[in-house]
Amino acid sequence: MISLLRTTLYRSMFFTAVWWILIEGKTDSWFVGLISISLALVTSFILLPPNQFRFSFTGFAHFLIYFFGLSLKGGIAVACMAIRPNPDLHPNIFTITPRLPEGLGRAILTNTLNLLPGTLSVDLTLSSLYIHVLDERQSIETEVRSIEEKIAHMLRLELKKS
Amino acid sequence: MNSLNQLLAVFILVNLSIALVRVTRGPTTADRLLAALLFSTSGVAILLLLAYIEEALILLDVALIFSLLAVISGVVFAQRAWRTKEEKNEHS
Amino acid sequence: MSILELCSIVFLVVGAIFFLAGTIGLLRFPDVYTRLHALAKVDNLGLGFTSIGLVFQAPELVIALKIILIWLLALVASSTLSFLIARRAMKRGIIPWRAKEHTI
Repeated sequence: MISLLRTTLYRSMFFTAVWWILIEGKTDSWFVGLISISLALVTSFILLPPNQFRFSFTGFAHFLIYFFGLSLKGGIAVACMAIRPNPDLHPNIFTITPRLPEGLGRAILTNTLNLLPGTLSVDLTLSSLYIHVLDERQSIETEVRSIEEKIAHMLRLELKKS
Repeated sequence: MNSLNQLLAVFILVNLSIALVRVTRGPTTADRLLAALLFSTSGVAILLLLAYIEEALILLDVALIFSLLAVISGVVFAQRAWRTKEEKNEHS
Repeated sequence: MSILELCSIVFLVVGAIFFLAGTIGLLRFPDVYTRLHALAKVDNLGLGFTSIGLVFQAPELVIALKIILIWLLALVASSTLSFLIARRAMKRGIIPWRAKEHTI
């Protein structure tokens, strides 16, 4: 019960902050805001029931730093590939069994891989994740595994043994 | 500062128009849909720059709507439009 | 010229270079999957640098936060869209270019 209250409090704080940013800090449309925040809260409880994970802020910070570092590194690599006279492409599709439990964790993994240059999630089934990579000569497995660990740390999820 | 913003907005706009060549060339429908993705990045960048150039912050809201519409059009395409065509092909 | 303006200029120019690279990739890469790589990632980096550059010019804190919010929304948008397009292309049997062995 207490954890439910805490989730509600955190989520309403989050939505209020988003609304405050959207209206650029004005105060004259609080009525519409109140309705929107309540609707967003209800929708969030339907789409993402509480008590599945516990959000960790330090984990989130670690994840963000790691994410932006990788994304910058890979972005430069892909940009170079595009500009070079002979784009040395070796695309291939890899299959990886995600260690994260089903649900939010895997969805975040899929989307993160989509944003990291050089990897593109093609399909996600119950047991496997199909990844299209631009350069098959680079090992993608270790990268995916360390992203998994970061996400698990962020949501305090248990990783399955592979 | 503003002249740089203007220059970059025009530069990204030219980029966007050149990328439209890909839309005309195709060859698959998915390649054409990439234009929707393009508008959710380049289009948003142009609108952000314009909001500063014109000092009209309302354009930030337009940028938000742009990226929302890009998602909706993309999802509709991937989940509905392309699928119906596929079924039509199977029947014919 | 203040240090903030200098930072802003550097970020904006780097962002524009990424946009250019993304467009070149879109035109030159051989199939829909590799083009998605060029678009969803390189262009997103371009948008990221552009928005950070504009954050340095922001007149108020709220405006800066709003630009970051728009950027995050665009990130989620392109990530979801590229997954959906890639999956649908796969289901329709568009074979990835030059993949000698694929496991599907």
